[in-house]
Amino acid sequence: MRPRLLLAAAALLTAAAAAATTITVLVQQAPLRKRAQSYAPVVKTASLGDKFESSGLESGFYKTESGYIHASAVTARKVSLGSSDSVGSAATAEEMTLAGKGFNAQVEKSYADKNGSANFSAVNAMERRSVSDSALLEFLSAGGLIPGGAK
Amino acid sequence: MKRLLPLAALLAGCSGLQNLNIGGYTGSSMGQRLQNVDVTKVAKGVNQIRKGFSDISESEEYYIGRAVSAQVLAKYKPLNDPGLNAYAQKVAQAVAAASDRPSTFKGYHVQILDSAEINAFAAPGGFIFVTRGMLKLVKSEDELAGVLAHEVAHIAKKHGLKTIQTARLTSAFTILGSEAAKSYTPQQIGQLTSAFEGAIEDVVNKLVVNGYSRDKEYEADKFGAQYAKDAHYDPAALKTFLTRMEKAAGAGVGGMFKTHPAAAKRVSELGSLSPASGYKKSSERGRRFSEAVQL
Repeated sequence: MRPRLLLAAAALLTAAAAAATTITVLVQQAPLRKRAQSYAPVVKTASLGDKFESSGLESGFYKTESGYIHASAVTARKVSLGSSDSVGSAATAEEMTLAGKGFNAQVEKSYADKNGSANFSAVNAMERRSVSDSALLEFLSAGGLIPGGAK
Repeated sequence: MKRLLPLAALLAGCSGLQNLNIGGYTGSSMGQRLQNVDVTKVAKGVNQIRKGFSDISESEEYYIGRAVSAQVLAKYKPLNDPGLNAYAQKVAQAVAAASDRPSTFKGYHVQILDSAEINAFAAPGGFIFVTRGMLKLVKSEDELAGVLAHEVAHIAKKHGLKTIQTARLTSAFTILGSEAAKSYTPQQIGQLTSAFEGAIEDVVNKLVVNGYSRDKEYEADKFGAQYAKDAHYDPAALKTFLTRMEKAAGAGVGGMFKTHPAAAKRVSELGSLSPASGYKKSSERGRRFSEAVQL
């Protein structure tokens, strides 16, 4: 009886592993949260190119062992950057992001040189303005925007 | 109809990418990393190409958004009010977090414009602009959330990218998509820059001059109201604001009245809106709105 149980457990584990999806982060930084909620506490921060194994989607978030990461920050498509099987296949949008190619800083510089009136310094100042996750959580909580309060 | 030969093809065509600097993409130690890989492999396979605007990558969208924003900020002077800009940034991040696209390549960023014109813009990748004139019509944080959520929806649904003319990209991709250079040559950079310029011109013209189609505005209203609701703001505040804006239109002001459908029609399209179950009114929201928005 016991060997049968062990076999069944092993089969279940194998099935679960087979169902896991590899996801790759496609944005500069993205929070991994404690729960599948936009205002759940951040447990870690992922960076561009990080890969995780996900056991599935919950409310728009991929569940990983490190926490929940929103689907908009990652791709579940195969990213074959640097692997031999990429030879002969087209570079995808995801691979272009990871390689930093396409319309990139080099193209922007060339564009800026040709378009002197374009105000990139103001864009840079705008980009420096962002709110940390903890400050945003405080803002939401103070404004009564988190039902039940922040936990 | 001509097939779009998308951006990636042109990039994929530059088969040797060993000069790329991907070391700048630093991050945490968790997960498997893609650093120090042989990125020359990225460019293999010029025979297959991306198919359309939806295949424009996250980072490419970001650079398009930056250039569009640089053009907006050449036309409109940024308002130097750190408190107001920071407040608008927080409200925008609140509704963006509740949207179906909380993550863009480098996040959402807001800038108030020093203009009496009543207008707001959203550039691809997460850049949002609201004029001083528009803010003067906004009477509460919930209304501001509705306005900003509408702009977040334009970004989340990639309305800006959809305005880029296929023909502009096609010519550039045709020229650049078949070469196997080790890195971009000056000629390729020139051609890429021309394609980039065309794309920026298309988006700026749509944002600032012609405006999106009515369908896209209604879609941004619909999803914006949903984002505001999911962020536990009152979604009906957007309708309240639009009704007030309709009266301002009667005063003959320009701006978004030239580029958006009539506010009354937008209110009608929104239909009935009710707050989320966890919604509650808050004196703190009223206090901080009054403190930040003093125009």
